[in-house]
Amino acid sequence: MSQMINHDIPDDHEIQIEKKFIPKDLDIDKDISWARINKDVLRSLDRPRPIFWVIFFAALALFSFGVYCEKYQYDNGLGVADLNNPQVWGLYIATFIFWIGMGHSGTLLSALLHIIHADWRKPIYRYAEAMTTFSLLTAALFVLIHLGRVWQFYYVVAYPNERWVWPNFSSPLVWDATAIGTYLTSSLLFLYTGMVPDLAICRDNATGARKKLYTFLSLGWQGTDRQWSTFRVTYMTLACFLMPLAVSVHSIVSTDFAVSQNPGWHITSFPPYFVAGALYSGCAVIITLFILLRYVFRFEAYMTMPILNKLIKMTFAIAMVWNYLNLIEYSTVWYGDNMIAKQQLLDKMTGTYAPVFWGMVFCSTVMPFTLLIRFVRTHLPTLMVVSLILNFGMWLERVQIITPTFGHSQYPWTWTSGWWPSWVQFGIVAGSFGWFTMLFMLYCKIFPTISMYEVKEMVHDQGKMLKAKKVA
Amino acid sequence: MSLNNLIKNWTSFRARRPYLDQYKNADYKWAMVIDLDACTGCNACTTACYAENNLPVVGKERFEKGHAMHWMRIERYWGEGESVPVDMVPDKGAQFLPMMCQQCEAAPCEVVCPVGATHHSADGLNTQVYNRCVGSRYCSANCPYKVRYFNWWQYADFAWPNPLELQLNPDVSVRSKGVMEKCTFCVQRLRESMDHAKTDGRLVRDGEVTTACAQACPTSAITFGNLANPQSQVAKVWKNQQIALEKDEQKKDENMRGYRIFEEFRTYPSVVYLERVRDLEA
Amino acid sequence: MATEKKMGVDRRDFLKVLGISGAAATLAGCGNTSIESGAEKVQAYVQPEDFVVPGNSVFYASTCTQCPSHCGVMGRVREGRVLKLEGNPNSTISKGKICGLGQASVQIQYNPDRLTTPMVRNGDSLVPATWDQAMTVIKQGLGKDSVISGEEIVFLTGTTSGHQKVLINNFLNNFNSNNHIAYDALSNHVGETVRENVYGYSNPVQKIKDAKLIISFGNDFLGSGLSPVYMATQYAHFRKAPRGTLVQIEPRMTLTGGNADRWYPIRPGTEGIFALGLANALVQHPEYDKAIPDEVKQALQAYDKRTVGEITGINPDAITHLVGMMWERTPTLILSGATAEGQKQGYQNAYAIELLNVILGNVGKTITAPTENPFPQMNPTNATYQALVNLNEQLSAKKVKACLIMGVNPIYTEPTFVGIAKNLKQVPLKVAMVTQLDETAELCDVVLPLLSPVEDFGTYVAEYQPEGVEIGIQQPLMEKLHPHTKSFGDVLLTLLKERDPKNYSHYPDYYSYIREAVIKSKPVFKSSMTDDDFWDSTLMNGVLHIPVKESEIKEVKINIADLPKAEKAPADVNYPFYFVPSIKADLRDGRHANLPWLQESPDPMTTVVWDSWVEINPKTAEEMQIREGDVLEVQSSMGSVTAQAYLFPGIQPNTVSIPFGQGHTSYGRYATNRGVNPFKLINPITDEKTGELALFATKVQIKKTGDNKKIVKDEGPTTLQQGRKLVVTMAADKAELSKEV
Repeated sequence: MSQMINHDIPDDHEIQIEKKFIPKDLDIDKDISWARINKDVLRSLDRPRPIFWVIFFAALALFSFGVYCEKYQYDNGLGVADLNNPQVWGLYIATFIFWIGMGHSGTLLSALLHIIHADWRKPIYRYAEAMTTFSLLTAALFVLIHLGRVWQFYYVVAYPNERWVWPNFSSPLVWDATAIGTYLTSSLLFLYTGMVPDLAICRDNATGARKKLYTFLSLGWQGTDRQWSTFRVTYMTLACFLMPLAVSVHSIVSTDFAVSQNPGWHITSFPPYFVAGALYSGCAVIITLFILLRYVFRFEAYMTMPILNKLIKMTFAIAMVWNYLNLIEYSTVWYGDNMIAKQQLLDKMTGTYAPVFWGMVFCSTVMPFTLLIRFVRTHLPTLMVVSLILNFGMWLERVQIITPTFGHSQYPWTWTSGWWPSWVQFGIVAGSFGWFTMLFMLYCKIFPTISMYEVKEMVHDQGKMLKAKKVA
Repeated sequence: MSLNNLIKNWTSFRARRPYLDQYKNADYKWAMVIDLDACTGCNACTTACYAENNLPVVGKERFEKGHAMHWMRIERYWGEGESVPVDMVPDKGAQFLPMMCQQCEAAPCEVVCPVGATHHSADGLNTQVYNRCVGSRYCSANCPYKVRYFNWWQYADFAWPNPLELQLNPDVSVRSKGVMEKCTFCVQRLRESMDHAKTDGRLVRDGEVTTACAQACPTSAITFGNLANPQSQVAKVWKNQQIALEKDEQKKDENMRGYRIFEEFRTYPSVVYLERVRDLEA
Repeated sequence: MATEKKMGVDRRDFLKVLGISGAAATLAGCGNTSIESGAEKVQAYVQPEDFVVPGNSVFYASTCTQCPSHCGVMGRVREGRVLKLEGNPNSTISKGKICGLGQASVQIQYNPDRLTTPMVRNGDSLVPATWDQAMTVIKQGLGKDSVISGEEIVFLTGTTSGHQKVLINNFLNNFNSNNHIAYDALSNHVGETVRENVYGYSNPVQKIKDAKLIISFGNDFLGSGLSPVYMATQYAHFRKAPRGTLVQIEPRMTLTGGNADRWYPIRPGTEGIFALGLANALVQHPEYDKAIPDEVKQALQAYDKRTVGEITGINPDAITHLVGMMWERTPTLILSGATAEGQKQGYQNAYAIELLNVILGNVGKTITAPTENPFPQMNPTNATYQALVNLNEQLSAKKVKACLIMGVNPIYTEPTFVGIAKNLKQVPLKVAMVTQLDETAELCDVVLPLLSPVEDFGTYVAEYQPEGVEIGIQQPLMEKLHPHTKSFGDVLLTLLKERDPKNYSHYPDYYSYIREAVIKSKPVFKSSMTDDDFWDSTLMNGVLHIPVKESEIKEVKINIADLPKAEKAPADVNYPFYFVPSIKADLRDGRHANLPWLQESPDPMTTVVWDSWVEINPKTAEEMQIREGDVLEVQSSMGSVTAQAYLFPGIQPNTVSIPFGQGHTSYGRYATNRGVNPFKLINPITDEKTGELALFATKVQIKKTGDNKKIVKDEGPTTLQQGRKLVVTMAADKAELSKEV
């Protein structure tokens, strides 16, 4: 593999920076030199901690197992997943929503915070965007995996054909496919656009094959004034376009359920509820990845504790919004006149799937309150565990939307009790986590996970701000 | 459906079923009546359905997993409410309900199918196009009656060990793994009789064609026919029972027995059930 | 020709194209480039078989042989294959309808486990053989030079009728024997004897349709009764305006009980006492006072409400209530059924129940004489359990030298105490004629593969003849599927031809035998057709019908000694539970367990499939802390079986039930090692009067084994409608059925 060449700044410098006190109102040390930023970030493409490879190969192994399960399922039919009538979707669709949901925070962090000029996003938005892209890719996988005849998946797409057979545009699944497709394309574009100036830096520092890659990808970026001004406008436009899109995507995913008549799904507040849930799980994952990347790529100087603190505050706020919407959902059912929906709600809380429901309540409603404790916010291993619990809770939330509704539908004859997914389902779900982690790790190894040019801006701005304060 | 056509006539592609006199000028609208007072729950209809429609026998292990493929199932209930005491004596007998696809006029399954594999035919059937189905199972998820059955396995590989496959009805395809299927109102029989009638330059006569279940039913609890033909037995019963296809709430005399299941979901089923009668003084 | 060749396609090729056009569309994509490719998959119809038009179905009439009701059926045949059976509208029994059991006939035909070659015993095992080899073995015992005669030969069958029966008797006569033993594990001989003694007819016509009130003591006429399809058609009329009321009294809810307006659980074996309780209350009314002799009336006084209530476990008020209904709703019809008759006092029970009919004056109204069959030799044999006991005695006396078995499986259905298996083994020549190897055939020396019911000729006369007499004509619906299978008639004729060429050599085959017999009957039907036309029209109709000839039940006899004693059965500490096995309408005595459709068809009352289960009342289960799926050991003094518990509200609290039909040890892939065989629990209790086995008089104890397995059933975790309007029930007085069309 070709090497990044700029290593002339001594390594012991980093220790000083790590220990250096960052003033309370600053997110990042104002004294980091631009060369150091380049060096630190480029080094992540080159020499991560060895744990990187452990994670990568663990993910690869998990992914391979998932592939094996999928092959087994492909060959034998979906029966191996122990799906049945009425449990037709199982973990596949639950996990699909989970991944779609995860894909929302990248955009939120990046686009929304960009629009409102919240500068603290700058060191962390890049990986959040990458996460968005990869979780969307993973979600798309589940759309395919859960199809009975995956080899005919293209029927869902409106492609030109001689018989003029169209997909059914009134089906929320077609809306889904369209929305996810649009969102995936746009977020990929957004990610790439924001990366161009950094790719140019990489180009200038790389040799061999990497040089060729970065040269190609950086589109001849020279950093001229004209390029910068065009870049700014494009980037802002994309951000403005992406914000409503992100909201619409998960709203549309929620219509998969909300437009059906099933008890527990037929709820008006589902779109905002889903969007809130999406942001919630996305933020939780960003915290997880924050801690992970900070350690693996030695980004302590950039992914600083003040930024993490802001992230946590945002997560907590969104958690509360989600809880509120959750409560609204239940109370509309409870005070409503729909006997069937009420029965379903009671069953969700007391029936066979009560552990899933109460598990969700513990993980997603109770756990966020631990974020109020300073120790949890500052002790990274604990925070890592908490963020994983939040994630798991959000996964449970998706499961408890799908499974209890099927198990306790309108039609009492087909109720199920004690339905449990087979190892194939769990294997594929685990494999999806492997696939995501693998792709993400690969990305981090090839592309700069921290936006170098924006961190430079940030360091510069912080210095200016401090000066201004001193003057005042 | 070309693009121009789509743009020009987009309103006609909107599902606007059902409406008053929708089938007034149509040749056919297939419908059914099931008299629950005559139904004894004997399962003759379900076996007939297996024989007619190439339904696979899935075996005990798969049945246990919920993979049974009975398009028509006989449900047996012990009561209307949500609970009964443990020492309940079913002194009014059991409640049997033959349940299969209700061929809803505004079918919840049709709108959600991403590829249009299930759609409404001109003669009022809720059809399932196996070749088009990708197996998203959204239709089943959205079916309030849960009468759609998915091919979880390649049943053809094991359900008809040689020479059992010689029994298969050549008019009905054997479905492959990964597609959804359900009661078709024996569309192969309907198609054949409609073709015959067309050759003769007439419409299908009442009683000329019936479904396998209706044909087998020893108590003749099932009546099948063409609702568009006011002289047909089905149309007479619908009229007599004051059931209107396009209404989601029937205004009928108290002592008439006709009802449709889950009308409140506005699915407008094509199957009318006649209430079970019990002599409460007995 | 040469010019045609130049064009690339000659005439023959053109015809081939026509032939494969259907296949060509699919094959075109598979790399088939020439007209020739794919031709091997195409069937040529240059010289089609008679009536075979590709793509067109032809319907042939025949008769169903799945149960003794012998419905007329129509087989749908396409491209030479029978695909499906429907009811034959010409049949007065089926009236164009068919049950699930009948539908499954085609699975006998196409069963993957069908016996396709003869089997001959070689040491401990049966090995495939040719027909010559098998017939050589048979002829050693029953050939030309055989000296076997009289009781040395046994022909064991189930209920047989028509020309099968005639031929069997002819065959036995040839050996100077009349040792045709008809055994039916689920025989209804007790009830038939009672009705024979009371009315003079073993199967009088019971006019369900005309009754306004039916009180049925365990008679499952809609499910496993004598003629379920016919009865169901009549039941439909019974339920039309003016709607009749059905009251069912039985220990375990049958399908008929599930359809009753009122269902009473009763302690097994006490049905007759309850009937007499009703009779006693009934004769208090002046109108019914004179129906019976005074001595009987006096005897009835012992059956006061309180005593009857105590013995039967039914609230005494029910008697008053039921008697009130009988008073109001005439005509009535009182039916006795298997669970009432299969008791130690079974005869007395049935007698007491028929007594009610007599008191109510139903004789001549809802109970009428059947039409007499002009061909009495074709009437069905009266298959009994007693026959098996007789056979066992003959076998154990080692008198029997040859035993032919067809249509029964005594090794599976015999209770353990009979022990026929051991005695049967000692018979030097045992021949089984089957379509599929079963437990009994496995014991035999020669097993002959028979044609399936849809491949064979035959004539059948049902036991229950409701409208005139119907002779069902069975004809092949398709060519035989397996070349080495034969009709049983051909086997017997082969042997007869050798022993008695004078009388039989002019029959080339069984077909000609049947044909000649049918044509001979022509005068009875006053047909002016030629012989050939008569035969053809008979085949076309599928039935020969003798119209109803009204005759009266001349005399009704009542014997005071035949009434059941008002005694309470002593409690059994060791075996506290009554064991009332249930008869499933499809599996019957287990002979149909090899048909996958029936295995997968949920039991109507419990929706369990593919297995055996123990029905237990939820109250009892709660007391014993039994949950659904708990594996229970059910033990009688004869043995024990284990099966999963199913909580069933339709069963008397002191009763448990296991369905008959499962627990085969050797009967093809669909039946073998599936569930348990409740025949093996039956205690050696027989009906005192007729000697028939009291199938429902066994007492058992149940124990939890500690295991719990998910019970495989269609029903979900709830058995209730949960407030949904799924099955809506209307009170009979509210419904205006007469206004319906």
